[in-house]
Amino acid sequence: MSKVLPGNATGGSQRRVKLMVRLTIDNQIVDAEEGSTILDAASKIGIYIPTLCYHESLTPGGSCRLCVVEIIANGTSGLITACTCLVETGLEVRTNSERVVKSRRLAVELLLAQHPHSDRLQELTKKMGIDKPSFTLKEQECILCELCVRTCREIVGVGAINFIAQGIDRDINEPSIEVSPVKCIGCDSCAYICPTNAITVEDVGDTRILTTPDGKLEFKLKKCSTCGKYWAPEKQLDYIIKKADLASDAFDNCPNCRD
Amino acid sequence: MSKVIFSSWAGKVVDNRGLHPDEYASVEDLGFPLQYNGHRVRAFMSWNGLVVADDKVDTVDMAHTYLKEVQKLSCGECSVGYLGIKIMLDILARVAKGKGGDGDIELLHWLGAGIKENAKCDFCPSAVTPVLDTLNYYKEEYIKPIAGRKRRAKSTYMTRVTAPCMEACPAHQDVPGYIELIRNRRYKEALELIRKTNCLPQLTGRACVAFCEGNCTRNEIDSPLAIRALKRFAAEYGTEGSSESSLKKVRGKPKVAIIGAGPAGLAASYNLALMGYKVTIFDELSARGGMALVGIPAYRLPKDILEREVDVIRQLGVEIKLNTKLGRDITLERLFSEGFKAIFIATGAHLGREFDIENWREGYTGLIDGVKFLRDVNLGKKLEAKERVIIIGGGNVAIDCARTCLRLGFKDVTIVYRRSRVEMPGREEEVEAAEKEGVRIHFLATPVRVLTEGDKVIGAECIRMELGEADASGRRRPIPVKGSEFVLPANMIISAIGEAPDLSFFAGKPIETTEQGTIKVAPLSYQTSRLEIFSGGDCVTGPATIIEAIAAGNRAARSVDQYLTSGKIVLSEEDTKGRLTHDISLSRQRGGGVIAKSLRQSPEQLPPSDRVLSFDEVEKCLTAEAAVREAERCLRCYRVMLLAVAREG
Repeated sequence: MSKVLPGNATGGSQRRVKLMVRLTIDNQIVDAEEGSTILDAASKIGIYIPTLCYHESLTPGGSCRLCVVEIIANGTSGLITACTCLVETGLEVRTNSERVVKSRRLAVELLLAQHPHSDRLQELTKKMGIDKPSFTLKEQECILCELCVRTCREIVGVGAINFIAQGIDRDINEPSIEVSPVKCIGCDSCAYICPTNAITVEDVGDTRILTTPDGKLEFKLKKCSTCGKYWAPEKQLDYIIKKADLASDAFDNCPNCRD
Repeated sequence: MSKVIFSSWAGKVVDNRGLHPDEYASVEDLGFPLQYNGHRVRAFMSWNGLVVADDKVDTVDMAHTYLKEVQKLSCGECSVGYLGIKIMLDILARVAKGKGGDGDIELLHWLGAGIKENAKCDFCPSAVTPVLDTLNYYKEEYIKPIAGRKRRAKSTYMTRVTAPCMEACPAHQDVPGYIELIRNRRYKEALELIRKTNCLPQLTGRACVAFCEGNCTRNEIDSPLAIRALKRFAAEYGTEGSSESSLKKVRGKPKVAIIGAGPAGLAASYNLALMGYKVTIFDELSARGGMALVGIPAYRLPKDILEREVDVIRQLGVEIKLNTKLGRDITLERLFSEGFKAIFIATGAHLGREFDIENWREGYTGLIDGVKFLRDVNLGKKLEAKERVIIIGGGNVAIDCARTCLRLGFKDVTIVYRRSRVEMPGREEEVEAAEKEGVRIHFLATPVRVLTEGDKVIGAECIRMELGEADASGRRRPIPVKGSEFVLPANMIISAIGEAPDLSFFAGKPIETTEQGTIKVAPLSYQTSRLEIFSGGDCVTGPATIIEAIAAGNRAARSVDQYLTSGKIVLSEEDTKGRLTHDISLSRQRGGGVIAKSLRQSPEQLPPSDRVLSFDEVEKCLTAEAAVREAERCLRCYRVMLLAVAREG
């Protein structure tokens, strides 16, 4: 619980003080800041919890389920993802109980079955002592971790990538991501963040080609007025000019040719 | 289902297998139907277990079929749920074909447990519960096919999908569906989905009583989803950059007349217009919206909002004739002779219930009934603010009157209610808002006599009440306390003790009515005693809610269509499906994962001190950020039900 303390005599304003919360992770006592997650608290004391869809700069999504831990509070125990669960006083966390290991193993094997050739997944499963998945699925590079969706929304601020989910009478065969050609500015942040190379980017001459599970998108690149190099998508530069309220010629030169 | 052979429902195992039917242990009434749409129910499988009434049912095939239905709703937002179910289905398919391997049962257990404990929302865990029950209690059925034995004949199945929120809503709106679309920033699609069952999202997004929120699973965890606020958000953000007239216009069906431009009439007209009927609405008022317009004050529903919403319906070709009263300007017979093939009567309940105390009916100035008061204010009639006003009643009309009086400049606004706070029928949040704004509530009291001076009201003599035994409504009956009379001074007294339909236009009783003074209709079909006349909304139910009126309008439109197309009304599976889930508790499933608490997002509100200065809308729309965060709280409690049925009775 946070408390509001009276401000000091001169300021008169109120100051919110972050309280520390004491919990136990794998029998170690940890003091963590109120509002932080179990994942934060565990990493602070060097306990490794595997993650895939987590990124420190993004809102946690909880879609890969790899960071599952067991929590014991008020006499009951259950599994929960460490990236979404906030610390609480008196909480007992187990990151490696038999129940956790079994559940985490299932989660990672399912992803590996979806995309057996992913370096990232192979690296993760190797660490857990898994050679190959117990199941087979039709191979698909996109594992629906939504990192690209959250990056495009939260970092780029564009929100061109959205998720299509199934629902009652919604005629959707498979859930997937959808990239809006109208909104997308071709910045390639999604390709950068994608852990399984389901999104890739390639610049060919004056064109940037973004390949996504939803299809290919092409963007015209801007030519530097000094050196003549094609250096960034025009649509992305226009977006930055508009957003940062810059002069329309702000990007006529590439970074190397700017004074 | 007294002859249940096996049940694991809600974790309570009843196993009568191997016993002679006479020896079957008694089974508590689980609320399951023996009959469903004319079929004998052989077995039932859903989120909380498995119930078997016929031991020839193939439980493995049933589990496979069930999971196939489940997969259609598995959203893909977490890999464990989506991929796990996909693989369970592969395994079940081969087991059902007799091609399973030795390790399959073990794999199914692992997958089932993993999904149950580690899926992101409430849906996939609920989906595997009954499948795990078949593994635990019908293991021999799995071993037989794995060993290559011949399988039993397949059953005929029926499915139904619901959710606690959907079940609570009279219009059965797909709440998890539109919340999910909001979560995925697909606002336009969210609005389109809402419109399928509710053509007035702006209105209900502000003024619905939200039965859905009362039944939300999160009530047991933290606080319910802000479903009403999310609906309003979809209504406001879903129209951005798109024209509302994108709705398909169909033409070429007969003329249908609708009496009343309120929620029921609008819902019926919307649906009929979409089906191609030429619809004309007649309304006695000078503006569109019926009770939603004249009953809801502007601070809860700005007048232009309703006008915009009605415009969408008019764009479908629906004509609205105002200032036209049934029985005065038009008659039912004349409408038929003008070529209307069917009539839907939705005239609401606009008559204030008579207040029977001394001096009430003697014509003193300053006495008015609540519905008339609100109607006058909402239609723009100028009312002079008085010093003191007393409002009698504890319902939403009383609260609306009180808050309206404050905004009109009344200095001292007091509600007098004969029971206590817990029995008050008005919405809790409205009562709280009224108190914050400065309305005083006098509980456990009722006026017995109007005090007058000359031709004016100067107050009311009241008597204190105490609560006795519960009455027919289940609330404790108020009993006057002898000798406890007291006087409340007032320049005006508003009676808001209930409303009733005004059926005075029914000279000569063209259709049957009830003893309660409402129009009599056939249940589910809304057909009256005269087959080409239908009726729904408050004039049938007595004063009820907007969403009940919309649901009635939706269904009545289908009845009108069926009647005009085939001459008879067939209750579809859609109608009877509701009964299936009526008696089954949809509350939390057994043994799901842990759900983290999260804070409910609330829309911004005007501060109480500013509110009373004008009729400006009190509640704002959720911001996009807050709406998405709120949508992320949804646990997606879809419940898939599978029935194995036999055709004989």
